[in-house]
Amino acid sequence: MITLITGGSGSGKSAYAEEQVLLEGEARRIYIATMYPYDEESHRRIDRHRRMRAGKGFETVECYTNLKELQLPENSVVLLECMSNLVANEMFKEQGAHENTVQEVLQGVCMLEAQTRHLFIVTNEIFSDGVEYEEETKRYQEYLGRINAKIAELADRVTEVVYGIPIEYKKGK
Amino acid sequence: MELIIGGAFQGKLRYARELHPDVVWVDGKACTLDEMCKIPGIYNFHLFIKKQMMEGKNILNLADMLLEKNPNMILISDEVGYGVVPVDAFDRDYRESVGRVCTQLAAKCSKVTRVVCGIGTVMKGE
Repeated sequence: MITLITGGSGSGKSAYAEEQVLLEGEARRIYIATMYPYDEESHRRIDRHRRMRAGKGFETVECYTNLKELQLPENSVVLLECMSNLVANEMFKEQGAHENTVQEVLQGVCMLEAQTRHLFIVTNEIFSDGVEYEEETKRYQEYLGRINAKIAELADRVTEVVYGIPIEYKKGK
Repeated sequence: MELIIGGAFQGKLRYARELHPDVVWVDGKACTLDEMCKIPGIYNFHLFIKKQMMEGKNILNLADMLLEKNPNMILISDEVGYGVVPVDAFDRDYRESVGRVCTQLAAKCSKVTRVVCGIGTVMKGE
Protein backbone atom coordinates (compact mmCIF):
# COMPACT_ATOMS: atom_id res chain seq x y z
CA MET A 1 0.00 0.00 0.00
CA ILE A 2 1.25 3.46 -0.89
CA THR A 3 0.33 6.85 0.53
CA LEU A 4 1.66 9.87 -1.33
CA ILE A 5 2.03 13.12 0.60
CA THR A 6 2.85 16.30 -1.25
CA GLY A 7 3.03 20.01 -0.51
CA GLY A 8 5.07 23.17 -0.92
CA SER A 9 8.14 24.33 0.96
CA GLY A 10 7.63 24.65 4.72
CA SER A 11 4.09 23.30 4.47
CA GLY A 12 4.32 20.81 7.35
CA LYS A 13 4.21 17.75 5.08
CA SER A 14 6.96 15.92 6.98
CA ALA A 15 5.30 16.37 10.34
CA TYR A 16 2.03 15.18 8.83
CA ALA A 17 3.71 12.15 7.22
CA GLU A 18 5.36 11.11 10.50
CA GLU A 19 2.02 11.43 12.28
CA GLN A 20 0.41 9.16 9.67
CA VAL A 21 3.13 6.54 10.10
CA LEU A 22 2.55 6.52 13.87
CA LEU A 23 -1.18 6.03 13.28
CA GLU A 24 -0.30 2.67 11.67
CA GLY A 25 0.37 1.40 15.18
CA GLU A 26 2.98 -1.14 16.23
CA ALA A 27 5.42 -1.88 13.45
CA ARG A 28 9.06 -1.66 12.51
CA ARG A 29 9.31 1.87 11.25
CA ILE A 30 11.88 2.58 8.60
CA TYR A 31 12.84 6.06 7.47
CA ILE A 32 14.48 6.24 4.07
CA ALA A 33 16.57 9.40 4.04
CA THR A 34 17.38 10.65 0.54
CA MET A 35 19.00 14.01 1.21
CA TYR A 36 22.69 13.83 0.48
CA PRO A 37 24.62 15.82 3.10
CA TYR A 38 26.78 17.91 0.79
CA ASP A 39 27.00 21.22 2.66
CA GLU A 40 26.29 22.92 5.97
CA GLU A 41 22.71 23.77 5.06
CA SER A 42 21.86 20.18 4.14
CA HIS A 43 23.40 19.02 7.44
CA ARG A 44 21.17 21.52 9.25
CA ARG A 45 18.11 20.26 7.39
CA ILE A 46 18.98 16.66 8.12
CA ASP A 47 19.49 17.49 11.82
CA ARG A 48 16.14 19.23 11.97
CA HIS A 49 14.39 16.19 10.53
CA ARG A 50 16.29 13.89 12.91
CA ARG A 51 15.10 15.94 15.87
CA MET A 52 11.52 15.79 14.57
CA ARG A 53 11.72 11.99 14.30
CA ALA A 54 13.48 11.45 17.62
CA GLY A 55 11.56 9.23 20.01
CA LYS A 56 9.16 8.00 17.33
CA GLY A 57 10.91 4.69 16.86
CA PHE A 58 12.26 5.08 13.34
CA GLU A 59 15.28 3.18 12.03
CA THR A 60 17.02 5.37 9.46
CA VAL A 61 18.26 3.96 6.17
CA GLU A 62 20.18 6.27 3.87
CA CYS A 63 19.47 5.90 0.19
CA TYR A 64 20.72 8.51 -2.25
CA THR A 65 20.31 6.50 -5.45
CA ASN A 66 19.27 3.03 -6.59
CA LEU A 67 16.15 2.58 -4.48
CA LYS A 68 15.38 -0.81 -6.00
CA GLU A 69 18.42 -2.43 -4.33
CA LEU A 70 17.08 -1.67 -0.85
CA GLN A 71 16.13 -4.66 1.27
CA LEU A 72 13.66 -3.80 3.99
CA PRO A 73 12.17 -5.93 6.77
CA GLU A 74 8.87 -7.55 5.87
CA ASN A 75 5.75 -5.96 7.24
CA SER A 76 7.50 -2.71 8.09
CA VAL A 77 5.96 0.74 7.76
CA VAL A 78 8.21 2.91 5.66
CA LEU A 79 8.56 6.64 5.22
CA LEU A 80 10.55 7.76 2.18
CA GLU A 81 11.60 11.38 2.39
CA CYS A 82 11.84 13.03 0.01
CA MET A 83 11.16 12.05 -3.60
CA SER A 84 12.41 15.41 -4.88
CA ASN A 85 15.87 14.74 -3.43
CA LEU A 86 15.99 11.18 -4.70
CA VAL A 87 15.11 12.31 -8.23
CA ALA A 88 17.74 15.07 -8.14
CA ASN A 89 20.35 12.53 -6.96
CA GLU A 90 19.44 10.07 -9.71
CA MET A 91 19.64 12.80 -12.33
CA PHE A 92 22.71 14.70 -11.26
CA LYS A 93 24.95 12.41 -9.18
CA GLU A 94 27.60 10.40 -10.97
CA GLN A 95 26.26 7.01 -9.86
CA GLY A 96 22.68 8.07 -10.67
CA ALA A 97 20.34 6.73 -13.33
CA HIS A 98 20.44 9.97 -15.39
CA GLU A 99 18.10 9.62 -18.39
CA ASN A 100 16.60 6.43 -16.90
CA THR A 101 15.60 8.20 -13.69
CA VAL A 102 11.83 7.95 -14.08
CA GLN A 103 11.85 4.25 -14.84
CA GLU A 104 14.45 3.38 -12.16
CA VAL A 105 12.70 5.32 -9.41
CA LEU A 106 9.29 3.86 -10.22
CA GLN A 107 10.75 0.36 -10.26
CA GLY A 108 12.24 1.06 -6.85
CA VAL A 109 8.89 2.27 -5.53
CA CYS A 110 7.17 -0.92 -6.73
CA MET A 111 9.87 -3.13 -5.16
CA LEU A 112 9.49 -1.32 -1.83
CA GLU A 113 5.73 -1.53 -1.92
CA ALA A 114 5.94 -5.29 -2.48
CA GLN A 115 8.30 -5.73 0.49
CA THR A 116 6.54 -3.62 3.08
CA ARG A 117 3.20 -3.15 4.77
CA HIS A 118 2.72 0.50 3.99
CA LEU A 119 4.97 2.83 2.07
CA PHE A 120 4.56 6.55 2.73
CA ILE A 121 6.25 8.79 0.21
CA VAL A 122 6.81 12.50 0.75
CA THR A 123 7.25 14.56 -2.37
CA ASN A 124 7.34 18.21 -3.27
CA GLU A 125 5.36 20.69 -5.34
CA ILE A 126 7.97 22.53 -7.40
CA PHE A 127 5.88 23.26 -10.46
CA SER A 128 4.04 26.52 -9.93
CA ASP A 129 6.44 29.46 -9.81
CA GLY A 130 5.92 30.30 -13.48
CA VAL A 131 9.66 30.59 -14.08
CA GLU A 132 10.99 29.19 -17.34
CA TYR A 133 14.13 27.39 -16.24
CA GLU A 134 17.05 26.20 -18.33
CA GLU A 135 16.91 22.69 -19.85
CA GLU A 136 18.37 20.76 -16.93
CA THR A 137 15.99 22.18 -14.35
CA LYS A 138 13.04 21.85 -16.70
CA ARG A 139 13.88 18.19 -17.17
CA TYR A 140 14.05 17.81 -13.39
CA GLN A 141 10.55 19.28 -13.08
CA GLU A 142 9.35 16.99 -15.85
CA TYR A 143 10.81 13.84 -14.32
CA LEU A 144 9.53 14.60 -10.83
CA GLY A 145 6.11 15.54 -12.24
CA ARG A 146 5.87 12.27 -14.11
CA ILE A 147 7.02 10.27 -11.10
CA ASN A 148 4.54 12.03 -8.80
CA ALA A 149 1.67 11.38 -11.21
CA LYS A 150 2.56 7.70 -11.60
CA ILE A 151 2.93 7.16 -7.85
CA ALA A 152 -0.42 8.89 -7.33
CA GLU A 153 -1.94 6.40 -9.75
CA LEU A 154 -0.49 3.47 -7.78
CA ALA A 155 -1.29 4.98 -4.39
CA ASP A 156 -4.26 4.27 -2.16
CA ARG A 157 -4.12 7.73 -0.72
CA VAL A 158 -2.88 11.06 -2.06
CA THR A 159 -2.82 14.07 0.23
CA GLU A 160 -1.58 17.61 -0.21
CA VAL A 161 -0.58 19.33 3.02
CA VAL A 162 -1.24 23.07 2.99
CA TYR A 163 0.22 24.84 6.02
CA GLY A 164 -0.39 21.73 8.08
CA ILE A 165 -3.92 21.17 6.77
CA PRO A 166 -4.38 17.90 4.84
CA ILE A 167 -6.36 18.04 1.59
CA GLU A 168 -7.31 14.54 0.44
CA TYR A 169 -7.24 14.02 -3.33
CA LYS A 170 -7.56 10.27 -3.28
CA LYS A 171 -8.88 8.15 -0.44
CA GLY A 172 -8.67 4.36 -0.63
CA LYS A 173 -9.05 2.32 -3.80
CA MET B 1 -7.36 34.61 13.91
CA GLU B 2 -8.06 34.03 10.25
CA LEU B 3 -5.74 33.22 7.35
CA ILE B 4 -6.48 33.76 3.65
CA ILE B 5 -3.94 32.24 1.28
CA GLY B 6 -3.45 31.53 -2.40
CA GLY B 7 -1.18 32.23 -5.34
CA ALA B 8 -0.41 35.76 -6.55
CA PHE B 9 -3.21 37.69 -8.30
CA GLN B 10 -5.99 35.33 -7.29
CA GLY B 11 -8.28 38.00 -5.85
CA LYS B 12 -7.49 37.29 -2.21
CA LEU B 13 -7.83 40.90 -1.04
CA ARG B 14 -11.04 41.41 -2.96
CA TYR B 15 -12.43 38.21 -1.48
CA ALA B 16 -11.42 39.34 2.00
CA ARG B 17 -12.98 42.80 1.52
CA GLU B 18 -16.29 41.30 0.53
CA LEU B 19 -16.23 38.94 3.46
CA HIS B 20 -15.16 41.59 5.98
CA PRO B 21 -16.38 44.99 4.67
CA ASP B 22 -15.59 46.83 7.91
CA VAL B 23 -11.96 45.84 8.19
CA VAL B 24 -9.24 48.36 7.28
CA TRP B 25 -6.48 46.52 5.43
CA VAL B 26 -2.83 47.42 5.83
CA ASP B 27 -0.13 46.54 3.28
CA GLY B 28 2.44 44.15 4.78
CA LYS B 29 5.14 45.74 2.67
CA ALA B 30 4.92 48.99 4.61
CA CYS B 31 3.90 47.70 8.02
CA THR B 32 6.07 47.74 11.15
CA LEU B 33 6.16 45.03 13.79
CA ASP B 34 4.43 47.36 16.30
CA GLU B 35 1.62 48.07 13.85
CA MET B 36 1.25 44.35 13.21
CA CYS B 37 0.22 43.94 16.83
CA LYS B 38 -2.69 46.38 16.48
CA ILE B 39 -4.13 46.30 12.96
CA PRO B 40 -7.26 44.28 12.19
CA GLY B 41 -6.18 43.05 8.77
CA ILE B 42 -3.01 42.75 6.71
CA TYR B 43 -2.42 41.84 3.08
CA ASN B 44 0.95 40.94 1.57
CA PHE B 45 1.83 39.17 4.82
CA HIS B 46 4.55 37.27 2.91
CA LEU B 47 6.23 40.60 2.08
CA PHE B 48 6.08 41.61 5.74
CA ILE B 49 8.00 38.42 6.53
CA LYS B 50 10.48 39.18 3.76
CA LYS B 51 11.07 42.70 5.06
CA GLN B 52 11.64 41.45 8.60
CA MET B 53 14.15 38.91 7.29
CA MET B 54 15.96 41.51 5.18
CA GLU B 55 16.32 43.63 8.30
CA GLY B 56 17.93 40.63 9.95
CA LYS B 57 15.09 40.07 12.41
CA ASN B 58 14.34 36.64 13.75
CA ILE B 59 10.94 35.45 12.61
CA LEU B 60 10.94 32.19 14.60
CA ASN B 61 8.69 33.72 17.27
CA LEU B 62 6.59 35.86 14.93
CA ALA B 63 3.62 33.49 14.85
CA ASP B 64 3.47 33.11 18.65
CA MET B 65 3.83 36.83 19.15
CA LEU B 66 0.96 37.65 16.77
CA LEU B 67 -1.25 34.98 18.29
CA GLU B 68 -0.65 36.52 21.69
CA LYS B 69 -0.79 40.24 20.84
CA ASN B 70 -3.31 40.35 18.00
CA PRO B 71 -5.33 37.15 18.23
CA ASN B 72 -8.27 38.41 16.16
CA MET B 73 -6.37 39.68 13.15
CA ILE B 74 -6.95 38.53 9.58
CA LEU B 75 -3.88 37.77 7.48
CA ILE B 76 -3.68 37.51 3.70
CA SER B 77 -0.57 35.84 2.33
CA ASP B 78 0.69 34.56 -1.01
CA GLU B 79 1.66 30.91 -1.15
CA VAL B 80 5.26 31.12 -2.31
CA GLY B 81 6.48 27.56 -1.72
CA TYR B 82 5.34 25.84 -4.90
CA GLY B 83 8.34 26.34 -7.14
CA VAL B 84 11.81 24.97 -7.73
CA VAL B 85 14.04 25.43 -4.68
CA PRO B 86 15.85 28.75 -5.34
CA VAL B 87 19.62 28.80 -5.85
CA ASP B 88 19.98 31.92 -3.71
CA ALA B 89 20.22 31.13 0.02
CA PHE B 90 18.10 34.10 1.14
CA ASP B 91 15.35 33.29 -1.36
CA ARG B 92 15.38 29.70 -0.20
CA ASP B 93 15.17 30.71 3.46
CA TYR B 94 12.43 33.29 2.77
CA ARG B 95 10.25 30.83 0.89
CA GLU B 96 10.54 28.19 3.58
CA SER B 97 10.05 30.72 6.38
CA VAL B 98 6.75 31.96 4.91
CA GLY B 99 5.65 28.32 4.95
CA ARG B 100 6.75 27.73 8.54
CA VAL B 101 5.18 30.92 9.92
CA CYS B 102 1.90 30.29 8.09
CA THR B 103 1.87 26.64 9.21
CA GLN B 104 2.29 27.75 12.84
CA LEU B 105 -0.48 30.31 12.44
CA ALA B 106 -2.81 27.94 10.58
CA ALA B 107 -2.61 25.47 13.46
CA LYS B 108 -4.18 28.10 15.76
CA CYS B 109 -6.45 29.90 13.29
CA SER B 110 -10.19 29.38 13.56
CA LYS B 111 -10.46 29.66 9.79
CA VAL B 112 -8.13 29.10 6.84
CA THR B 113 -9.32 29.86 3.31
CA ARG B 114 -7.52 29.29 0.02
CA VAL B 115 -8.46 31.55 -2.88
CA VAL B 116 -8.05 30.31 -6.44
CA CYS B 117 -9.43 32.38 -9.35
CA GLY B 118 -11.22 34.59 -6.85
CA ILE B 119 -13.08 31.64 -5.33
CA GLY B 120 -12.47 30.89 -1.70
CA THR B 121 -12.39 27.32 -0.40
CA VAL B 122 -12.49 27.01 3.36
CA MET B 123 -9.87 24.46 4.38
CA LYS B 124 -10.30 24.81 8.09
CA GLY B 125 -13.19 26.16 10.18
CA GLU B 126 -16.45 27.30 8.66
